[in-house]
Amino acid sequence: MSDEHKADEPVSTQTGPLHGILAEYETPTALVNACKRVRDAGFKKWDTYTPFPVHGIDRAMGIQMTSLPWLVLVAALLGLGTAISFQWWTNAVDYKFISSGKPMWSIPANVPIYFELTVLFSAFAALFGMLALNNLPHPSHPLDHKKHFGKVTDDRFFLYIEAEDEKFERDSVQALLEETHPASLEEVPEDHSTPAELPRKFVYALIILGGASLIPFGVFAKMRASKNVEPRIHAIGDMDWQAKFQAQQPNPLFPNGMAMRAPEPGTVAAGEPVDDDHFATGKTEGQFARTFPAAFKIDDAAMARGKQRFEIFCAPCHGQSGAGDGMVAQRASELAQGTWVPPTNLGLEYLQKMPVGQLYDAISNGVRNMPAYGPQISPEDRWAIVLYLRALQKSKGAPVTDLNPTERAALK
Amino acid sequence: MAKAKEQATDGLPNGDNIKMEGLAPKLMQLAGGIGAVALAVSLGLGFFGGNKSQFMHSYLVAFAWVLSIALGALWWVTLQHLVNAKWSTVVRRVGEVLAATMPVIALLSLPIVIPTLLGDTTLYIWADGHKMHADHLLHKKAPYLNIGFFAVRLVIYFGFWTVLSRFLFAKSLEQDKTGAPEIRAKLQGLCAPSMIFLALTLTFAAIDFLMTLEPTWSSTIFGVYYFAGAVVSFNSFLALSVMWLQKNGRLAKSVTSEHFHDIGKMMFAFTAFWAYIAFSQFMLIWYANIPEETEWYHVRAHGGWGTVTYLMVAVNFVIPFFGLMSRHVKRNRKALGFWAIWILVVHWLDMFWLVKPHMHTEDPPFSLLDVTCTIGLLGLFIAAAAFNSQKVNLVPVKDPRLEKSLAFENF
Repeated sequence: MSDEHKADEPVSTQTGPLHGILAEYETPTALVNACKRVRDAGFKKWDTYTPFPVHGIDRAMGIQMTSLPWLVLVAALLGLGTAISFQWWTNAVDYKFISSGKPMWSIPANVPIYFELTVLFSAFAALFGMLALNNLPHPSHPLDHKKHFGKVTDDRFFLYIEAEDEKFERDSVQALLEETHPASLEEVPEDHSTPAELPRKFVYALIILGGASLIPFGVFAKMRASKNVEPRIHAIGDMDWQAKFQAQQPNPLFPNGMAMRAPEPGTVAAGEPVDDDHFATGKTEGQFARTFPAAFKIDDAAMARGKQRFEIFCAPCHGQSGAGDGMVAQRASELAQGTWVPPTNLGLEYLQKMPVGQLYDAISNGVRNMPAYGPQISPEDRWAIVLYLRALQKSKGAPVTDLNPTERAALK
Repeated sequence: MAKAKEQATDGLPNGDNIKMEGLAPKLMQLAGGIGAVALAVSLGLGFFGGNKSQFMHSYLVAFAWVLSIALGALWWVTLQHLVNAKWSTVVRRVGEVLAATMPVIALLSLPIVIPTLLGDTTLYIWADGHKMHADHLLHKKAPYLNIGFFAVRLVIYFGFWTVLSRFLFAKSLEQDKTGAPEIRAKLQGLCAPSMIFLALTLTFAAIDFLMTLEPTWSSTIFGVYYFAGAVVSFNSFLALSVMWLQKNGRLAKSVTSEHFHDIGKMMFAFTAFWAYIAFSQFMLIWYANIPEETEWYHVRAHGGWGTVTYLMVAVNFVIPFFGLMSRHVKRNRKALGFWAIWILVVHWLDMFWLVKPHMHTEDPPFSLLDVTCTIGLLGLFIAAAAFNSQKVNLVPVKDPRLEKSLAFENF
C-alpha cells in the first residue's frame, strides 16, 4: 500500500484484519477474463463492480439464472387469489348489495380488481425480491473507504474477493489475481469506523414514528367503541355546509325576499276534499260507481289516451294484453326468488264484472302488492285507462261477428 | 444488374448469406400459384356457384386477417424508426418487405369493395342509401356511411399505407447503396407524424371493414382491438419468416436467440394487450347493459357462438399467455415457432368471430370458402413479399445501428 492511500483513509481501517482483496482493471475484457479465472478457481464470495452493464459477465462469473421470475409468478398468483377471495367475500358474503341489477357475485365486474392486485403483488415482488436477492440495501461496505474505488462509476472495473470465502488464502489469491494483470491490486482491511448497528438517533426516530403512526388507528378504535355527545368533526366543510337556501330562510334573489316558493295557482294538496266524488274517487254515496263520471268524456281520443297510458304504466307488469305476462313479471318469475306475487290477469271474469269505480280506485290507491298510481297519473288519465281496460276485457271473449267485414277478411 | 453485383460484395462482417437469389422466384411461383388457384376457386364458388354471401363473408375474414399482418408490419417498421430501435435492425428489412406488400393488399380488397361500391348490401347495409334513410336508427349515420365517402376513405387508407410502406422501404434500400447515415434521422422525423396518421387510418379502416357490418352498433375502442391483433399476428409472422429464411441458409448467423427472444416478448406483451382491450370493450358494454350496445355481444354470447367466445378467451389469451411467459420458450426456435403458428390461427379465429355472426346469427358453420379464401389471400400476400425481396439485401447492411443489433444481448 502506498503512502498516498494512507493519507486518504482513517488510520483505524489500516490496522484491522483483512476483509478482502481488490483488483482493478482498465477494460471490461480484462475484467471478464479475470472473472473466468476466479470462477474456475472455485471461489464463492466475490463480486465485480463496473460503471455500466458488461455483456457476458454473468456467464464469466458463473452466475445462475435468477429465481426472481418464479418469485414474481408466485406473487402474481397470490395477488389474483387475494383479489378473487376478497371480492367474493365482500360482495357475495359479508355485505350483499345489488348494484346496477347485476348478480351479487359476477366475474366481469371484478376483473379490474383481479388485474390490479395481480400487477401490484408482482410489482412489489419484483422490486423487493430484486433488492433482497442483491442483499440491498447495503448501508456500508469497506470498499467505500477506498478513495480510488470511486472510479467504478467512471472508467475502471473492479473485482473483489472477500476473506470470508472458504478458499481464501492471502498469498494464493494475491498470486491468482496477479496472473490476470490487474492495473492495481490491494488489500482491503475490515471497516471499524462504521458502527455495525444502526445509529441511536435512527432507532429513536423509528420508534417515535412507529408509535405516532398507531395514533390514528387508536383514535378510530375508540370512536367506534364509544358514544359521544359532542357534534361530529367536520372534516370536509364544503359538503357539510353547502352554499344553498333552506326553507324559511331569506333569499334576496326573489322579489318577495323568501327562499320558499308559493305553490302554483290551482294546486290541490293530496287528500284535499273535492266537489265531484264520482270523478275523483270512483265512488257515489259510499259505493263503487258502475258508470263513468259525467265529467269524463268517452270518445276515440280518450280510448287512444288510455291505451297509451296503459302501455306506459300497466303493461310492464300486466302485459300488453293485460294477461299478467309483462316483462317485469317474466323477469321476476325467471329469477324465482320466492317473494314475487305475480300480477293479476286483467281478463279474469271477476274483474270483468267489477264496477269501473273499483278499477279506478285500484289504480288510484293500489291493491295488494300493486302500488298506488294516483300520485303519478291524473284522474282523467286514470279513467281513460279504465276505459281501455274495459275494451281489452271485451276483446277477450268477443265473438267474430263483432268485427266488420274488412277485419274479418284480414283475419282469414 | 451491375449494381446488384456490387451490393452482393459488401455483405455482413460475419459472412452471412443475405440474398434471396433463387429462393424468391421459387417462393413466388409456389405461394403465388397456390394462392391464385385458391382465389380463383373461391371466386368461382362465390359468384358462379351461388354462394355469394358465404364468399363475401369468408373473403372478408381472410382479408381482415392478411391486412392485419401487413398493417402490423407497417406499424412495426414505423415504430423501429420512431424510437431509433437498435436490437431490431437485423430483422427490420424482413418487416419492410412484408409492409411493402400494401399495393397488392389494396388490390386484394377489390372483391369486397367493388360489389359494395355497386350498391351490394350483402356485407354492408349502408351501401343502400334508401335503406339508411328509411331506418330510424341509421339515417343520422348516412353522411358517413355511404358509398361515395367510403370510396374516398379507401383511397386515403390504401394510398397512405402504400406511400408510407414503399417510402420506408425505398429509403432503407437507398441507404444500402449510399450508406448515408442521415437517412436514419430523417426517417425518425418522418415516422412521428406518420405514426399518428397510421393510428387514425388503421382505426377507421377497422371500423369501416368490420364494425359497420352491424351499423347500429358502435364501440370507440374497436380500432385498438384490431390493432392489438395486428401487432401480435405480425410479430408471429415475422418470427416464422425469419425461421424459414434461416432454414434456407439466410441470416443464419445474424439473427440469434436474442432477437427471437425480443420478438417473443412482443408476442407475449401484445397477447396480454389484446386481452386487456377485448375485455375493456366487453366490460363497459356488459355493465351499462344498454340494448343498442349489447346486441353485438348478445349474438356472440349464445348458442354456438357462445362456445366460440369462451374458446377465444382460452386460446387467444390464457393458453398463449402462460405458453409464452418463460424466457426459455422465447429463446427456443421450435417452441416460439409453435406459438407463432398458434397465434396466427387464433387471430384468424378472432376475425372469423368478428365477421361471421353477421351472416350466421345462430351457429358458426365453417365452410370450404373460409379455407380457400384464406389460402388464396395468404398465398398472394407471401408471393408479393417474395417479389419485394428479390434483389434486396435481407439486412440493411449500411444502417448505422447494425453493429449494435448484431451484438445485441438480453440481460
